[in-house]
Amino acid sequence: MTDLKQNTASLKSQARLKKRYRKERLFKAIGLSGLLSGLLALTIMMISILSTGLSGFSETRIKFDIYMDPEIIGSTDGYDETEYRDHIAQINHSTLIRNSLKIKFSDVKGRRDVFNLQKLVSSGSREEVRRLLIEDKNLIGKTIAMDLLASSNVDMYVKGQISRDVNQSERKISDRQLAWLDILESEGRILKGFNWKFFSTGDSREPELAGILGAAMGSFLTLLVTLLIAFPIGVASALYLEEFAPHNKWTDLIEININNLAAVPSIIFGLLGLAIFLNVFNMPRSAPLVGGLTLALMTLPTIIISSRAAIRAVPPSIRDAAIGMGASNLQAQFHHVLPLSMPGIMTGTIIGMAQALGETAPLLMIGMVAFIVDVPQGVLDAATALPVQIFLWADSPERGFMEKTSAAIIVLLVFLIMMNGLAIWVRHKFEKRW
Amino acid sequence: MDKTTVQELIQPTIKARNVDVYYGETHALMGIDLDIAPKTVTALIGPSGCGKSTFLRCINRMNDTIPSCRMTGKITLDGEDIYSKNIDVVQLRAKVGMVFQKANPFPKSIYDNVAYGPRIHGLAADDKDLDEIVFSSLQRSGLWNEVKDRLDKSGTALSGGQQQRLCIARTIAVNPEVILMDEPCSALDPIATAIIEELIADLKERFTIVIVTHSMQQAARLSQKTAFFHLGKILEFGDTSEIFTNPRVEKTKDYITGRYG
Amino acid sequence: MGRKKAVLSVNGKIRDLHSLPGHYGWFTALTSFLPGLFIVLVWIIFGSNLVDNFTLAALGDEIRSLSNFDRALYMNDIHNLAIGDAISRPLTNSLNNATNFYLRTQNNLLWIFTLSAIGVSSLLAIFSFRKISPELRSRNLVERLIIIMLVISSSIAILITIGIVSSLIVETLRFLEHVSLSEFLLGLKWSPQTALRADQVGSSGSFGAIPLFTGTLLITFIALLVAVPVGLFSAIYMTEFASPNARIFFKPLLELLAGIPTVVYGFFAALVVAPVIRNSGEVIGLEIASESALAAGLVMGIMIIPLISSLSDDVISSVPQSLRDASYGLGATKTETIVNVILPSALPGIVSAFLLAASRAIGETMIVVMAAGMAANLTANPLEAVTTVTVQILALLTGDQEFDSAKTLSAFALGLALFTITLFLNFIALKLVRKYQEQYD
Repeated sequence: MTDLKQNTASLKSQARLKKRYRKERLFKAIGLSGLLSGLLALTIMMISILSTGLSGFSETRIKFDIYMDPEIIGSTDGYDETEYRDHIAQINHSTLIRNSLKIKFSDVKGRRDVFNLQKLVSSGSREEVRRLLIEDKNLIGKTIAMDLLASSNVDMYVKGQISRDVNQSERKISDRQLAWLDILESEGRILKGFNWKFFSTGDSREPELAGILGAAMGSFLTLLVTLLIAFPIGVASALYLEEFAPHNKWTDLIEININNLAAVPSIIFGLLGLAIFLNVFNMPRSAPLVGGLTLALMTLPTIIISSRAAIRAVPPSIRDAAIGMGASNLQAQFHHVLPLSMPGIMTGTIIGMAQALGETAPLLMIGMVAFIVDVPQGVLDAATALPVQIFLWADSPERGFMEKTSAAIIVLLVFLIMMNGLAIWVRHKFEKRW
Repeated sequence: MDKTTVQELIQPTIKARNVDVYYGETHALMGIDLDIAPKTVTALIGPSGCGKSTFLRCINRMNDTIPSCRMTGKITLDGEDIYSKNIDVVQLRAKVGMVFQKANPFPKSIYDNVAYGPRIHGLAADDKDLDEIVFSSLQRSGLWNEVKDRLDKSGTALSGGQQQRLCIARTIAVNPEVILMDEPCSALDPIATAIIEELIADLKERFTIVIVTHSMQQAARLSQKTAFFHLGKILEFGDTSEIFTNPRVEKTKDYITGRYG
Repeated sequence: MGRKKAVLSVNGKIRDLHSLPGHYGWFTALTSFLPGLFIVLVWIIFGSNLVDNFTLAALGDEIRSLSNFDRALYMNDIHNLAIGDAISRPLTNSLNNATNFYLRTQNNLLWIFTLSAIGVSSLLAIFSFRKISPELRSRNLVERLIIIMLVISSSIAILITIGIVSSLIVETLRFLEHVSLSEFLLGLKWSPQTALRADQVGSSGSFGAIPLFTGTLLITFIALLVAVPVGLFSAIYMTEFASPNARIFFKPLLELLAGIPTVVYGFFAALVVAPVIRNSGEVIGLEIASESALAAGLVMGIMIIPLISSLSDDVISSVPQSLRDASYGLGATKTETIVNVILPSALPGIVSAFLLAASRAIGETMIVVMAAGMAANLTANPLEAVTTVTVQILALLTGDQEFDSAKTLSAFALGLALFTITLFLNFIALKLVRKYQEQYD
């Protein structure tokens, strides 16, 4: 009797148990799928950026024989070095190139066709011809084989971004130009190489000429200002709040304040920068100084919070030991506590800097969004920053800028990964366990 | 164990043979053999860190939740190896309940605390049935009269002793065979302790109880059998009266008389 | 120049005093250097304004009677002329004179400040130098000074908040002179196209912010719809199911999402997600705007996944082990333990994670700027283009604007609204977390 009852009970509980385990598996699967979908999003994003961006690091060049026509260049007899350079800077390089291209494709007649032919090479190739002439005046009158930078559209076509199957009216490159390119291709005149310009020049209206050095320099100067302002102030306030501050309403207020500031949207800091630094203090617009100040206000809470944690992690016995030897409280802090908590402070600072490096909105507000070709030399020059450059390029309609945008993103991410890697390294290398 | 008593003729509920437990590199238990008789109170005593809690947690496989923990050897419950593949942990723990050192009521109502186990195991056919289980469990743990008017109040709002009794009620609501108690009174005041000790003495009528305790008096008052653990080994095991009056091992004597511990 | 000289003079002093024990040296250096530094700071911050004001005062009534905007242009020309840049008007005698006066004033003031900085510094240096004697407790004085500096540093956080609040409120009040509060908060139409100058046509725009608020809410809602389940379940999986090794592998990967700059998400939304959504809409015959709320919301959701997962991870891990033990001890499965014990206990913390995530989504700018568009549609349809508070702030203030117009001032009113909302959400979230922590401490 008892047995029977127990049996049915256990049969029932067996069935129940099965159901409970099914639920368990289901729940676990849901959890895992949540995690995986997050990672999937990351992967898709990385793949889409890498796949569009990697080609941005290469450029296309076309080999042409350029005839340095003395008639166009004109007489340079008796010119000294400077006069020669000024003269070469003024000659019509465009005609030089056009005529040479016409020699290559002698069947091309008519203004439109010649214009389209010249469109194969970038407007930056004029600069290349000029530089060559300035370097060596003996080239005048000779025919030189030059690898001229291809225009963005040709570059896009060579990289497979423009398909020849599309109707002519819908693509940026005409059938005629394609025919020329086919000839050049068959003669092995189309070359691909690493795009050094991308790392050595500033912005440009032409995608094939645009580089990130200006923006990177702007970011560097901005971050420098940020670091110089936010680091000392951040560490000082952390030290005060953690070690000296009495526990009263005022320090409570500061504490709540810092926690809340850490979550204030970045664009609000942009508004602050605009209203205070630009309109009240009349600081120059678009300058890394103002950008750095604004970002410093933004990173300050991050640095304070992580520095406080690092200082708190130093055991009180160290302090007691120093004070017990007759050191003043301040000496104990500066000689013992601060050095010991430095790795933690550094880690927090680097992470704060990485955040600042990726920040865009506040910089847009204070005008670091202008089109600036020159590489900034100081904190008062007009500049952009890397993320702003990405924003500007992403907004550009030219197709060629898409790969440049992705390439710039790759560079930015590499910087960020390096900074975070450094933070992790510092933490592991110097971290002490008490 | 050379003295044969009636109790030992009964088939033991729990049999541990050659149990070794490691936490990572630490060898916590070494070659434990122990038989636990049904419907008795078995006390595990010994100095801190001697492995008695570890052994207790082996009996309902709570150690499974600690990733670095490894166990070898064999523990059987009613003749079944509890570490074999076809034993289900969840069922095992329903059979072998546990009361912890620090009272740990869920941050839910008193009613929900007790009803939690029956609900997940599907022990109640309907709401009335569940009410009945909650009532009888609270009754048996002696808490009913104190909480009957505030069953919907949070379990964490009770006093320490009441919380611990709530935990016991919660455990017996599942109707286990064995109840493991890990120093259930160590965080309580003497009055609350006395109430719980009384409760344990009552519970012995229906459940097999294994209790870890630091208090010699408690072990002596409550248990029929006592095992003395030292540095991961059982130095002595036998009838409580025997161990406390006439210990065979010097160390046991030292510990019981309070010379160290 | 003035700064350099002041620094130099004090630097010299430091070196002079170096033979004395360090603290005396520091004492002299600090007491003399700090006031000098203060004067230099005043010059840096207010100098250019001072020069401008002097120049304006010296200019004829003709210039002073001009409108704010024209006067600013005129001053700008003076500035440009002074540094030899191009100017916007023909070079006249009066302009030339003004510029010369400007340069002279600048020079004079620079000298005054430099001299006073040096003077004050050296006076104080002499004073403190004379004060130095074996009895002087210079260490205590120096330390008090340092502590005062620490206090000032820590008060900067407060200053920032005051700066934010006051600048936002001042500009908002100026905005409210042009537009009534009720129109701003309750108006249904947003088109801030005021003309640059009052005499142009169509000078009044409409400043009803409701479409912006609904747009912001719509995108935030979509983002939370994505991020809450994904983030929460990831956190549950990682804390309760994943092996320690898997955790070490997955956690940084997920947190990588948090380290990606928002402009990258914006790019991803605009150039990858939005076209995909539009194309898939075409396949099933739906018309979807190329800048849809859906694309922006989805990508913003991805962005806040790590925020929710890491915060939830923290609160779930801080549920005491004893509660888990109790549940397992009763024979509960993992799932039952999570659903019945862990999640209810961690609920306040998880809710606060949601609030912080919402506040983050509301304040996010770049994704919506790049993917959500400018059209202030009053709609709940995620397939249409909407605009948000942050997008409008940015749009109103980028480019050269007259600072006093209702158009630019409205950006500050929007900023104040944004600040208030996010502050409120953060405040509640922090309160909840604190309460939760107290419960288990």
